[in-house]
Amino acid sequence: MIHSIAQKEFVSILRDRRFGVLSVLVLALLLAATLVGRASYRTLQQERVLAQSTVNEQFRNQPARHPHRVAHYGSFAFRPKSGLSLLDSGVDTFTGSAVYLEAHQQNSVNFSQAQQSGSLIRFGEMTVAFVLQLLVPLLIIFLCFGAFTQERETGTLKLLLSQGLTMRQVAWGKVRGYSQAVALVVAPALALAATLLFTGEEFASGADLAARLTLFVLGYAVYFFLFVVGSVVVSATQASSRAALIMLLGFWIVSGIILPKATANLGASLYPTITKAQMDADVHEQAQHGINGHDPHDKRAEALKASLLKKYGVDSEEKLPVSLAGVQMAAGEEYSAKVYQQHFAALNATYERQNRLSDWAGLLNPYQAIRPLSMGLAGSDFTHYVHFQQAAEAYRYGLVQRLNGLQASMGPGDKERRLDAHTWHELPVFSYQTPALAWALPHLLLPMGALLLWAGLLSWLGFRLIANTTVA
Amino acid sequence: MTYLLEAKQLRKQYADKLALRGLNLQIAPGEVFCLLGQNGAGKSTTINLFLGFVQPTSGAAFVNGLEVATNSLQIKKHLAYIPENVMLYPHLTGLENLALFSRLAGFRYPESELLTYLTDAGLPPEAVRRRVDTYSKGMRQKVGIAIAVAKHAQVLLLDEPTSGLDPKASNEFSELLRRLSGQGTAVLMATHDIFRAKEVGTRVGIMREGELVDVRPTAALNAQELEQLYLTYMN
Repeated sequence: MIHSIAQKEFVSILRDRRFGVLSVLVLALLLAATLVGRASYRTLQQERVLAQSTVNEQFRNQPARHPHRVAHYGSFAFRPKSGLSLLDSGVDTFTGSAVYLEAHQQNSVNFSQAQQSGSLIRFGEMTVAFVLQLLVPLLIIFLCFGAFTQERETGTLKLLLSQGLTMRQVAWGKVRGYSQAVALVVAPALALAATLLFTGEEFASGADLAARLTLFVLGYAVYFFLFVVGSVVVSATQASSRAALIMLLGFWIVSGIILPKATANLGASLYPTITKAQMDADVHEQAQHGINGHDPHDKRAEALKASLLKKYGVDSEEKLPVSLAGVQMAAGEEYSAKVYQQHFAALNATYERQNRLSDWAGLLNPYQAIRPLSMGLAGSDFTHYVHFQQAAEAYRYGLVQRLNGLQASMGPGDKERRLDAHTWHELPVFSYQTPALAWALPHLLLPMGALLLWAGLLSWLGFRLIANTTVA
Repeated sequence: MTYLLEAKQLRKQYADKLALRGLNLQIAPGEVFCLLGQNGAGKSTTINLFLGFVQPTSGAAFVNGLEVATNSLQIKKHLAYIPENVMLYPHLTGLENLALFSRLAGFRYPESELLTYLTDAGLPPEAVRRRVDTYSKGMRQKVGIAIAVAKHAQVLLLDEPTSGLDPKASNEFSELLRRLSGQGTAVLMATHDIFRAKEVGTRVGIMREGELVDVRPTAALNAQELEQLYLTYMN
């Protein structure tokens, strides 16, 4: 019986011109967004790969130099895009893509797309995720708002139920039929994306990407199911199609526009972030408590010198087996890195708290559950950004300390000497891999749980409500 | 005697209106009971109570001995329903509509049999594969009749079934009802059409303000006498 109802709904929808027009429009948008996403991915990825290899080459091909000069010459770390970011660019557009790595300081990631684009990008990009998160639900609403009200208004519901069906069976049949229609619109775009991801040479396809894509599709399947069930339930409980449509559109506006903005504003008010200028000033002030490797009269540098002389049992800097300046640089770097990390960690923790508030709002609003899940699976959320930031800092710190070590090993009078150009070829270059799904999943448990909770509760409560609605 | 339809002190109170006041009614197999009455007299409420679409305030309705309120799903196997204005699924053809409703009732007919049901109900053969949104009201009504007949129900509940049918189709419908009642089907038909009631009914009941005020065998009255009786109660 449920199958017959589902088939009837599916065939009726396919023959409805209004659905034809709307679905072709949404499908065209999805396909266009997929292709534009791929083109943008390809351009940005090529740029970043080329830039990374160029700066790596430049770094390795430095002439004979003092290692601390090399540390100040620095390098860049470019964030490669994750494969699924072609479907959901997440916060990538607004976070930076490159960070300058140099001695003594941890720079923030700069050069975001939004910084380099016109102001229109602030209205949001036309990504596959945007279409899936906001426009497909709108299509579902237009598709399903009359599921029961039209049957009631025309009288077909009585005829249907007189055949011996329950309201619950009719509702499940409708949910199945509408779901098939939605799949028909969405599946071609996702199939195209999957084909691009697994055949495009620019994508590093593999089991991890396949797993991410599978969960991405499953997440959206649950999200669409919610809208289909919700629309059918609202239609069954409203007296008229008009009332059902108004209620569903109201929900769409509140969930897709008002609540996300409200929670973002609330998060920013509850957990305010300090300005960059303030953070720089705080870091500078605190870093002064550590050794300044460039200041030979620094008191802490003097103390370190004394301890080194004692350690090696000598009475002057010149008799030390190591370069005092190199050791001081290493100690100074260790201290300043800690200071930077404390401040960046505090700043990131504030952002995390703001994001967490929005994630918890996913329990009230399915849009705020699918959004972090989608970004997280696409590798374009804030958590993945922080992972890159930390990887870049770990590389910077390791590189600078290695150079400080080289300087220390040069012994006294190192400032007058250079290390051979060949030395820089042996230093590691920055290379970054998006973390595996297993790393990302624990961060996505809340939005996944929220979506499943919504699906379970809405199905259970909604169908109970439908079973108790009156027919005549 | 086992009645296929039975109402015992059936009463329905809506928020602001008493729609049915203690209806007692029995309809035996092969009987065609026509309910006459003005709009709002309680005819449709009676049919809705037998269908289980509304719950009685008190009393009980029975279909083939099963109480409707507690067996709302089982009783639907025994009955077929034709509303005043049969509305079908507009994007499906007449044939597809019949196939769908038959499947839902548990019957999977081959296409040839479906075509026979439709043409027997009076639908022109050239119309069966057209989408229902191109049908006239009468054509939809004929598909509704085919749906009811194809269900092979023991009870037919008809709410103004000939409304919108042309005289020829109405006569064919009367003939169909006679044939079905001859096979033992019990029919409860709500109608405004006194002459159709006299023609096909075995008994007529007159309803006024939720009350069955008179019941007569149609054989005891001619059409004029029935009309006179009806008008007497309505005035």
